This record gives sequence, structure tokens and C-alpha cells, in this order.
Amino acid sequence: MSFKKNLFLLIVVSLFVACSSDDNGDEMPDPIATCDDNEQNGDETGVDCGGSCTPCETAIENPSSYTFERNGESTVGFGGQTTRLLMGDELLGAFMDNTSTVEKLNAMFAHMEGEADFENADLNASDKNIRSKTAASADYFASNATDQALIRADFDSWINNQVTNVYPNWEVAAVAGSAGQIADGSSTRYISAKGLEYNQLFNKGLIGALTGDQVLNNYLSPAILDEGDNRANNDAGTVEDGKTYTKMEHKWDEAYGYVYGLNADPSNPNADLGADSFLNKYIGRVEGDDDFAGIADEIFEAFKLGRAAIVAQKYDVRDEQAEIIKEKISEIIGIRAVYYLQQGKNAIDQETPDFGGAFHDFSEGYGFIYSLQFTRKPGTETPYFSKAEVDAFLMDLMDDGENGLWDVTGETLDAISEAIAERFDFTVEQAGS
Amino acid sequence: MRHFLGLVIVLVVLWGCSSDNGTTMSDDVDPGPPAQGFERRPMLVNWADNIIIPGYEAFTDELNKLQSAFDDFKQDSNEANLVAFRTAWLDAYLVWQRVDMFEIGPAENVGLRLNINIYPVDFAKVEEHVASGDYDLTLSSNRDTKGFPALDYLINGLGDSDADIVSKYNELASKDNYIAYVEAVLADMQQLSSTVLSDWKEGYRDTFVNNDGSSSTASVDRFVNDYIFYFEKFLRAGKMGIPLGVFSGTPIPENVEAYHKGDVSKQLFLEGLEAVQDFFNGRHFASSTIGEGLASYLDTLNALKEGEDLNRIINDQFDAARESVNGLGTFRTEIEDNTPPTTMLQAYDEVQRAVPLLKVDMVSAMSISIDFVDADGD
Repeated sequence: MSFKKNLFLLIVVSLFVACSSDDNGDEMPDPIATCDDNEQNGDETGVDCGGSCTPCETAIENPSSYTFERNGESTVGFGGQTTRLLMGDELLGAFMDNTSTVEKLNAMFAHMEGEADFENADLNASDKNIRSKTAASADYFASNATDQALIRADFDSWINNQVTNVYPNWEVAAVAGSAGQIADGSSTRYISAKGLEYNQLFNKGLIGALTGDQVLNNYLSPAILDEGDNRANNDAGTVEDGKTYTKMEHKWDEAYGYVYGLNADPSNPNADLGADSFLNKYIGRVEGDDDFAGIADEIFEAFKLGRAAIVAQKYDVRDEQAEIIKEKISEIIGIRAVYYLQQGKNAIDQETPDFGGAFHDFSEGYGFIYSLQFTRKPGTETPYFSKAEVDAFLMDLMDDGENGLWDVTGETLDAISEAIAERFDFTVEQAGS
Repeated sequence: MRHFLGLVIVLVVLWGCSSDNGTTMSDDVDPGPPAQGFERRPMLVNWADNIIIPGYEAFTDELNKLQSAFDDFKQDSNEANLVAFRTAWLDAYLVWQRVDMFEIGPAENVGLRLNINIYPVDFAKVEEHVASGDYDLTLSSNRDTKGFPALDYLINGLGDSDADIVSKYNELASKDNYIAYVEAVLADMQQLSSTVLSDWKEGYRDTFVNNDGSSSTASVDRFVNDYIFYFEKFLRAGKMGIPLGVFSGTPIPENVEAYHKGDVSKQLFLEGLEAVQDFFNGRHFASSTIGEGLASYLDTLNALKEGEDLNRIINDQFDAARESVNGLGTFRTEIEDNTPPTTMLQAYDEVQRAVPLLKVDMVSAMSISIDFVDADGD
């Protein structure tokens, strides 16, 4: 493996800016003829640049894997993100253990350093937790403590409802209007009186509120990347105290870590997509749909090139890549929201309706719809759907009858699906199968 | 010539069926020349009246026999009665292989397959239920504690010898609980299967036969999907591929069907394969009579694959699969004693070769689209 580190694939992304921008000014004779002759001559330090010509731009070295070094040492680090993804996976496991208590699940959600909340001792020792990073991005929530509190209250309520409404009915068959278990193929699902699986809401909700929000609206944001002296330090190659990386490099890597932090070889993550229960898994799922094949590579390449651009101090290239990531990851969330609504609709719409399968799909879809409020429309400061729009979708999904998902109609599912797809660059048909 | 024969068979079947359901049939007994296409209704009639319903009747009969064998064993829990109970269990398990593929309508409504035959059995949970006496077998989460696999454990897995097993049913501490549990498992199976049979007889038969068009919701299209799904997921993967480790990469011998009995998985598979082939050919249940089926459908369409008769190719592939599996030892020893279990993997490959013939060639000839994909999980 180590020889690979030397195998940087040099891709000249940003070629030399033409020096001839002034050649149409007729009163100004071309001052230096050699700047426009496609040769390195005169006092040029590169072809038609440097010396008396315009400065040469540094080429971006875009490696073939997400591997970056300074003085022979890796500069990539995202331990905090890996830790939170592991905490999330353990918390989701505990959600499905009907002996868990509200206190236990809350403690796993808002872990405190040193508390024995997890099986994994490393997680217990960590000072990180999930709840404080839920709905916590600089762009969306720095000055919106209200929505942040409301969103965290939603997650808290899903924990509470799971323990107080679903656990007591664990060994009871669910029927319309009362919680319990229901078959979904050879699996058994545990649902609320209205057909919701709270663990799915929690899981798919975190895809937006934790990973999506942190990546799209925090770490890839110029507000974070360029905070304080980040640019000057990055230009000067000034690393953080005791670290190998500049602060800007590290911020970008933290975004990367929320997406790829649990891959076996995080420098080459597309080899084993599905390494966590969050974005990584669903990038893999969308990649598996022929309509969207290639999206996993687009996301990875944008992360890699953006990081290489930071090394090369090309901040415009960095921000272009961030925009690509914002668009594509938002799309992943939108596609899966529509996919699950349509899959659930198919499960109900047959001679023998498969309610268990449908509720499982709808519960996943509910979480992905919830996550839409954390997406990021490229070139804007806003999500594809506002919190109010998301809340309205979710109300529509649940209010076709008094028993929620037991009563949801195909018209409602199609209407929500269409409304979501319309705002993205895909159709209901492409996303739905 | 083949078209003519097809027509004759169609008419014969129609005549045969028109007696019990005269009025609805009359439209279809048309002496005029039939359209180029195949008449689907007579095939549905043959499936329902000569294969599916007789199959469920035989299955409920076998469960009744199983119940009486158990009643004898309960009366006197000796080794001879255990052996008889075991024989009745295997007989019923074999007839189950004949009806397992009919997971449509009534069977789909009650989820028959997954209530009757999820394996491996969770025998630790069975023991918890036995010990506590507190369980609800209708719950989805208890499906792996009942049906044939639970009986496999309770008849074959409670001890190393019949004497050991029988002793469990005689020890004062455990006796009543085990007997009560077997009784509950049997009652559950009987209740489910009799519901399915009566639903077929009282309404669903006509629903099934009358839905004789060709669209994704028509009986033929739906059932052909269910049939191929069964072949691919439950016969090929469930009985061979999963225990062989084809999907997980590691052999899992404890996932063979009837693991505790140990030496009948192959027999159960072969019965299932024969049921699939018989169904393909439209063969009446437990009879040599051939009626309308997928084979005659293909013949009417004159379906060929690379110039060869597709019906013949599919039957030959079923035969080749059977021959290959027949040459194996018991599945459990094949998997446990060979690393990798090459011979059984080769037999699996032979079974697999029928999948594209059914799933691609047959359905495209019939203009049926496949509506299932691998489950998405979470």
C-alpha cells in the first residue's frame, strides 16, 4: 500500500491563465511578446507566466485516493466523526432492545465523557456526542436556536415514544390504532399506533440533522473553512499546534469523515459503501440504482479535488467542489425520500396489502423527508425544502385518517413524491424503483 | 400440429370444468377457431382445481395424520410412538413441499410460508417458551419458534438418541410443557392451513380463475412471478445456497432444512423440485394426468431458444438438476465434511441454471414482467 502514496496522479486542473487578456487594447502595445507564444522563454518561470508575465498558478495535485501528506506524514484526520458514527450505530442497536430505558437512550444520544453509555470503551472515554451536533451547523443554526431546539425535541420525542409506547407492546400484534409488532417478510417490525417505526425516524432523521447538516452547512461552508485566519494560515502552510494539518484542511476532512469515517480504507471509500447506517449506506444504495450510477464517484471525486485545492490554495476550485457535494448529497436524501414513499405505495397497492413492509418503507421515507430541511441548494444559503415545508409533508403523510399510515392513500404518496422530485433534477419514476 | 393439440387440450379441460361452474364458463367454450394466443383461463382452472386445491387438501390431511400420531405419542410417550410421530412429521413435511410455492391469495394473506417453515428454528427461544408456558404463536416475532422446524427440534433435536428424546416427554418436570408446546405448534399449523384451504374453496378459486387477463395484476402474471420467486429464493437459495454459503461466503450447515433430523434435507429439496417441475408441466396433484400449464403455454407459443423447444430445454434442465442433486450425500454431511463443499456447489449451479430459463426466456415468451427484486432491507 505504501508505494501508492507516491503514486500521485497529477492532474492539472487549473491550467495557466492566459496572459494575453490585454491584447485587444489597441493603444497599448503588447508589453512582452514572450508571454503569449506558448513557450517558456524570457524570464518566465513557466510557459507564458512568471517573471515579467502574470504569476504562474500552482497546479492542483489531485491524488487517486484521499491521501494527503506534509513532510511524509498524513494530514488527514476525522476521529471525532468516526466516533460519532459509531455512537450512532450503537444507539440504533439499543433502540431495538426493548429493555432499554429513556435514560439509557438519552445518555447514548447526549453522551458525557467518561460515562459508561456504550459497549465500546473508546466511545465512553470520548468527549464527543451526537446530540450537540444535531441541527448544529454554522450556516443554518448559529442564529436559529429556536429550530435547533424544536428539532432536538423531535429526536428526544422519538426516543421517548419508543420506550413508552412501543416497548410495552413489544409482544403484541399491531393493529390500526394500537402499537405492536408486525411482519415484514421474514423480519418483524415494531411500530406505533399510527404505523411509525421510531428507530427509523431517528436513524434517517440523523442522516440529515447530523451528517448532512454538518457536512453541507457547516464544514463545507466558507464560514467554517475560512474562519479567522484560516486562509492566511493555509496559504503559509501554518499547521495547528502539535498537528500535521492546517485548520482549513482539517475542517474539510471533518466533512469527509461524516461521510466516509467508517470505511475500511477511508482513503478509498467507494470500495465498501454501506459501512455505516447513515449517508455512506445510502450513497451506496443510490449508486446501486442504474438511474443514478456514478453519483458515488462524483461525490468522492469532489471531496478529493476540493481537498487537493486547499493544499494548492485554490479556494475557488475548493468552493466549486463543495457546491457539487452539496448538490449530490442533497440529491441522495431527496431520492431516498421518494424511493421509500413509492416502495411503500407498491407494498400496499396489491391484492394482499403488505402493511408491515409498507410501514417500514414509510418510516424510512419519513426520516428522509425530515432530512430534507438539512439539504443545501447549491449557490444558495437555503435547503431544498424549508422546515415548514417538511413539517407540512409529514403532516400530509400522517393525516389521511385517524390511524396515520394505516390510512395513507396513493394520492397523498404521489403528491408528496412529485413535490419533492420537482425541485430536484430527477423524476419520481427514476427515484421510485 | 402442436397448435391443434393445444386446442384439443384446452377444450377437454374446459369441458371438464364447465360442469361445476357452468354459467361463467360458457363464454369460453367457443367452438370457433381460437386466437393465435394461448387461452389463460383453462390453465388457471387446471392450476386451481387439479393442483392447488387438491394439494392443500392433501396437506391438511397430512396434518390431521400428524395430529393423530402425536395423540398416540402423547398417550404413551414411548420410542415406537416417537418413531411413528417422526414418520408422520416427515410425510407432512414432504407434502408441504408440494404446496409451498402457492403463496398467493389465501396463503399470502396469512403469510403461510413464513409461519409454517422458517428455518433455522430458534431452539433457544423454543426452550424459553416451553419453560415459561407463556407465548403467543400468532406473533410475527415467534415465527421462528413454530411450524415444521420447531417440530424438527422437538422430535429430533431434544437428545442424541430416541431414548433421550423420549425421556424429555416422560420427565415429570418437563413433560407437560413439551406436550403442551407441541400441541400449540400443531394447532397453529392446522388453523393456518385449514384457513387457506377453505378460503380457496369459498371464493378465492373463482377470483383467481376469473382474473384471467394478461397484465401485471392478472392471476397468471402474478402467479408466475410467485412461482419463479419460490424457485429462486426458497428452493434454490433457502434449501441449498444459504447453507452452502453462496451468499455469505461461509457455509452454514445449521441452516439446512430439518437440521435436527439431519438426513432428510435432500429429500425435501427433491420433493420441492419435483413439485416445481410437475407444476410447470400442468400435472395434476398426485396423478399422472397432464393438464394445461406453463409447458403447454410455451408449446402453443412455439417458444424456442436458439432453435430448440424451450419447454424441452426447461424440462431437461429440471432433470439435470435432479440428477445432480440425487448424486449427493445428505446436505448436512456434504456441507460439514467438505471444504469447500464442491460437489454440492456443482449441484447448486445445476439448479441455478433453470433460473434464467424461467426468469428470462419463459417470461419473455409469455410477455410477463418480473416484479420482484432483491429485498432492499433497511
